[in-house]
Amino acid sequence: MLQIANVSKDMGEFFLDNVSLEIQDGEYLVIIGPTGAGKTILLETVAGIYESDSGEIYLDGREITDAAPRDRNICMVYQDYMLFPHLTVEENIGFGLKSKKVPAGEIREAVMKYATMLNIAHLLHRYPGTLSGGEQQRAAIARAMVMSPRALLLDEPLSALDAKTRELLRRELKSLHAITKTTVIHITHNFEEVFDLADRVAIMNQGRIVQVGKPEEIFRKPKDRFVADFVGATNVFKGVSTVTDGLAVVTVDGLEIRAHPAEEGDVYVSVRPEDILISTEPLASPVRNAFPGTIRDVLHVGAVVRLTVDAGTEFIVALTRQGFEETGLDVGDGVYIAFKATAAHVFPGGNA
Amino acid sequence: MSAYLRSPLKAVTIGAGVGLALFIVVLLLLVVSHPTLDGLISSLLSSEIRFAIYLSLATSLVSTVLCILIGVPAAYALARYDFFGKHAVNTILDMPLALPPLVAGVGLLLFFGASPIGEALAMAGLVFVFTPLGIIVAQFFVNVPFMLRIMRSTFEGISPRYEYVAKTLGCTDTQALWRVTLPMAANGFLAGSVITWAKGIGEFGAALMIAGATRMVTETLPISLFLNMSCGKLNLAISAATILIAISVVSLYVFERYGGWGRL
Repeated sequence: MLQIANVSKDMGEFFLDNVSLEIQDGEYLVIIGPTGAGKTILLETVAGIYESDSGEIYLDGREITDAAPRDRNICMVYQDYMLFPHLTVEENIGFGLKSKKVPAGEIREAVMKYATMLNIAHLLHRYPGTLSGGEQQRAAIARAMVMSPRALLLDEPLSALDAKTRELLRRELKSLHAITKTTVIHITHNFEEVFDLADRVAIMNQGRIVQVGKPEEIFRKPKDRFVADFVGATNVFKGVSTVTDGLAVVTVDGLEIRAHPAEEGDVYVSVRPEDILISTEPLASPVRNAFPGTIRDVLHVGAVVRLTVDAGTEFIVALTRQGFEETGLDVGDGVYIAFKATAAHVFPGGNA
Repeated sequence: MSAYLRSPLKAVTIGAGVGLALFIVVLLLLVVSHPTLDGLISSLLSSEIRFAIYLSLATSLVSTVLCILIGVPAAYALARYDFFGKHAVNTILDMPLALPPLVAGVGLLLFFGASPIGEALAMAGLVFVFTPLGIIVAQFFVNVPFMLRIMRSTFEGISPRYEYVAKTLGCTDTQALWRVTLPMAANGFLAGSVITWAKGIGEFGAALMIAGATRMVTETLPISLFLNMSCGKLNLAISAATILIAISVVSLYVFERYGGWGRL
């Protein structure tokens, strides 16, 4: 288990502010957050590149806060590969084992094993400069994995790749993790990577871990306004909540939105656009929130259509393009929107 | 031609560049074609010129090695670490570039000739004044900023993350530098060494001040050119000049080939 306990580090523009995080053996933890949130420094501090100003780091119960990087057995992969350009792919992958004075025969064997796993065995004699981005990143991942690291730190490993390669390599990362059960911390800006890879996801902002949980939890139950905005819950309203029948009833611009959990006082309530149903007839289903409204705007975003519906306050409703065309709706039409109380999430801070 | 008439700016500026290049070529050709070939060859084989070649090669190689030994580590520190007074150190280290070599030579002469440190060194057998050791020190002092600047920008151009990765893969700081950063800095190192060496071979002013111009003792190629020119031995002077020109042309080629200008 990797434990980060109250770690702070001030590097001026980038900093860590009392970060605590526990990563279980074999867990795949994804960290997301805006640029400048301190994600990369967190990884580099865990790897031992920087000394923390305060706090401790433990690996398997052993304190490694002050251990040199080479004594941690934690490996790092960067967005821009950082393959050593003067060495062949084979020498790159075998670099760490050579440092550890492993016999040449064993190095060759280990290099071959991971090169085969990552489909780059045919590139071993080449120099990094002659490889595509995807091939280079595979080599960089192999270079780390060959060390059988106790933790693998991936700093936006897929961000520099084109969309197709990114998806391919994402799947390979997933199967590599399934095979090796390596503990992984993976930084990204990409929500697909979160949903596809993460056992848990941590959200970072301004040097702090703001929320940690399963991906579903983070998206459905953002803890505060920042997380809600960041993960893209577009319908976030400020209101006053009272508790009735174990549900929060949040009054927003005269509308009463039933939501959960049952918290009182000044709150935010968020509803994801795809959780809202829309129709021209009042909905008969047993949903807890149903409001009449008027379509104010229609926005086509790729395969999705986002409608702005004024129901006393403005809701964003997301439909598939096909679903939208079947309804035949247009700006100015009167509609009904509805969503379940379980789809409306209350979090504190409405008076902020 | 009409294009040049329509754009006087183009005509004038290109004219300036091409004219200057022609002027340089004419000067070089004048020097190398002045003596007869036989005269040039016999001068090149004369004991005086052979001594000058030997002394120039020996002093410039030693001073280049010194520039590497001190300039490369200093450049690494300036590229990688933050420390108190870094900005001042950076500025001071560039100082010899702007200083007239004669002034540098006076400083060196005072340091090695008249200061307690210089006297102590002389007592220990290291005499710099009017000896080849003085030439080495002069070449080192005047040219180390070139090595330093080129290596500093070379190291700055190599992401420290290469070293980070190497350290997570089992390297100490020094091993990471040795196995990763230095090999990656090879081109800059080559360009820096060549320009330092070539400038060392041509060093005159500072060397003249501290080492003097004594025939067959501190007579490097530029000193030989100066001595023989002033007493009218034109063939000897020109052969020294010819060798210096050849070295300049070759080292300029190597310097450009390995991207030296971009780093200076």
